[in-house]
Amino acid sequence: MRNMGREGFRQPMAYAIEIQGLVKKFKDLSALDGVSFSVEEGEFFGLLGPNGAGKTTLIRIITTLIRPTSGRAVVMGMDCSRNCAGVRKKIGVVPQALTSDLDLTGRENMDIYARFYDIPKKERRERIEYLLDMVGLRERAADLVATYSGGMRRRLELARALVNMPELFILDEPTLGLDPQSRRVVWEFLEKLMTEHKITTLLTTHYMEEAEALCDRVAIIDYGKIVALDTIEGLKKAVPEKDVVEIEFSEASEELLIDSLKAMSSITSVSIIGNALRISVEDGAGSITEILERVKAEGGKVRKAVVKNLTLEDVFIHFTGRPIREEEAKKVSFLLGAGIPRRWTR
Amino acid sequence: MTRFFAVVERDLRKFVRNPVVMLMSILMPVLYLVILGNSFLGELKNLPLAVVKHDSGEYGERILERLHSMEGGPKRVIVYHAANEGEAMEGLKKGVFAATLIIPRNFSSDIAHGKTSELGLFLDNSEPVASEFLRAQAALALSAMRNDFIKIREEKAPMLRETELYKKIDYDQSLIPGVIIMAIFLGAMTTGVFNVVMDRFMGIEESYFLTPLTKMNIVTGLIVSGLFITTILALVVLAISSLIAGLYFWTTISFGAFIALLLVIALSTLSLQGLMFVILGRVDHPRIVGVLGGFLNVILFFPSGAIYPVESFPAWLKAFSRINPETYSVHAMRAILFKGADVYAVKQDLALLFVTAVVLISLATVVFKREL
Repeated sequence: MRNMGREGFRQPMAYAIEIQGLVKKFKDLSALDGVSFSVEEGEFFGLLGPNGAGKTTLIRIITTLIRPTSGRAVVMGMDCSRNCAGVRKKIGVVPQALTSDLDLTGRENMDIYARFYDIPKKERRERIEYLLDMVGLRERAADLVATYSGGMRRRLELARALVNMPELFILDEPTLGLDPQSRRVVWEFLEKLMTEHKITTLLTTHYMEEAEALCDRVAIIDYGKIVALDTIEGLKKAVPEKDVVEIEFSEASEELLIDSLKAMSSITSVSIIGNALRISVEDGAGSITEILERVKAEGGKVRKAVVKNLTLEDVFIHFTGRPIREEEAKKVSFLLGAGIPRRWTR
Repeated sequence: MTRFFAVVERDLRKFVRNPVVMLMSILMPVLYLVILGNSFLGELKNLPLAVVKHDSGEYGERILERLHSMEGGPKRVIVYHAANEGEAMEGLKKGVFAATLIIPRNFSSDIAHGKTSELGLFLDNSEPVASEFLRAQAALALSAMRNDFIKIREEKAPMLRETELYKKIDYDQSLIPGVIIMAIFLGAMTTGVFNVVMDRFMGIEESYFLTPLTKMNIVTGLIVSGLFITTILALVVLAISSLIAGLYFWTTISFGAFIALLLVIALSTLSLQGLMFVILGRVDHPRIVGVLGGFLNVILFFPSGAIYPVESFPAWLKAFSRINPETYSVHAMRAILFKGADVYAVKQDLALLFVTAVVLISLATVVFKREL
């Protein structure tokens, strides 16, 4: 579909999203505790945080599904609490839970969803075929969604969320619970969307690789607050730790070797842990050859050499003081039990 | 309107993919007709009565004759001769007999001498329906004997001459309006708001709350698709149960009456859909629908006059039946099916159902929460 190019999705505007002092309290619990940030037009923005950090609450306020206790969320110049109808027309959302109808076919799901946006018939048909093609579901479009795998269902929902040609694409943990292969398919789809259509995208995730692979800028959110916001490079720079090279060796004098390595300008520190050297270095991959040469020059035999790059995980630990996968026990209501779905999944 | 029709179509498509529910919604009201029609208020039959006869005189014999004549024909009563009181009472306690009648030794001679004579009747009143019936039968036998005895009556007892206004309606047929209202209730229960509850339970509602759909689109869309499904179900149930009960209404009622019937079914559906939407609109677990559904069915159905006349209820229940939409549906359907009433004749019921539907659906739309 030709008319789905840049101009189809995009209109010039200063900010796609503006969040100011957003607070959301559920009874005695603060899901959001004064969040402010802005997302520019055409940007791929990531919200990174552990489960329960407040990501979904934030998304639900932006997507008009819940009202904030205080503060403001503005999408495309429209207030999310006041002009709900206006906001809904401009956004395409992939919620965290799988939300397609199991007893409808893929194409029926798309068509009925498109009619919720009042898209005329001819346009609707063209667009649906284009999108189904884009997510690789055209052959299975006549099958009931109940027969789809989790990955296929997720891809259908990605396509469904684009059916109204949104100016802002919002995805809440789109790869949660998917196998690595399906996850890669979703990433490729999002990358393609970004390069071909330049659609502003807001993505929440608790997968580091996902944020690193896709996002221009990342906000780290924890306990309802933004603890850091920058490009991935910028975030990494803020962390004093560097890349680490670990080398196990034998038949060389440790002192001489340390002196020799410390002479390299890129190396900030060298220490010995067990029988291995731990070297902090600006650029691990770029320095490894020279490091190995120096070890050889001192008569050492290298048994094992590992370069550990600084990851977003290290950045996350730096800002929050804990690794991201550390989860807290969920609370289940004594009266209602687990049978009632958690409506306030944050 | 595109949005409204999309909601309707989504619901209808999902419904036709679930034929088991469709079949059960038809089967259950029909089964109800078969079971209820044969389980109570029909003719009583084969009630066992033990007789112990100590009297050898003329009048004791007459009583026995009367009882045996009841045994023949419709077989209401089966008379067993017990050798002695002990055996008869034992049988009564064990539930072998529903009642025991004892004719004492000097029964005939007491009557002949103008003394007060007595028959002993022991009733198993843990079975009120059977024991009431046998009490009446025994009294009947006694009074028949007395009529023979008092040859000259001082005045003639007033006689009743009955005239039935409408074509003979048997008990099974009289249940049909109730069966239809039950089909409508089941339809309203499994469509409309139930889909909101299911979508909420499965977390699917989030996806269409994200679209420009309005509250009105959602509520009226689901109600209209439910109306469509329920009307068809009710008509199928009407056709099947009429065939079973032998009420060939299509040969007796006019086209106008059929239109009135359609209107009653549609407006009853809308009223019940609206009621359910108001009550269940914010429920998030299908089990709550199950529990409330069973409860609502009983409290709406039995006071509706479908099986027992509303006039005989105590005042408080009568008051409740007056605000129960099913009462008006049953009243109107009875008039149409058995008296051939048309739209004009049932206009009061139709007007009340219409107002109920409008009020409840408006209320449902207002209280519906289009947010998480």
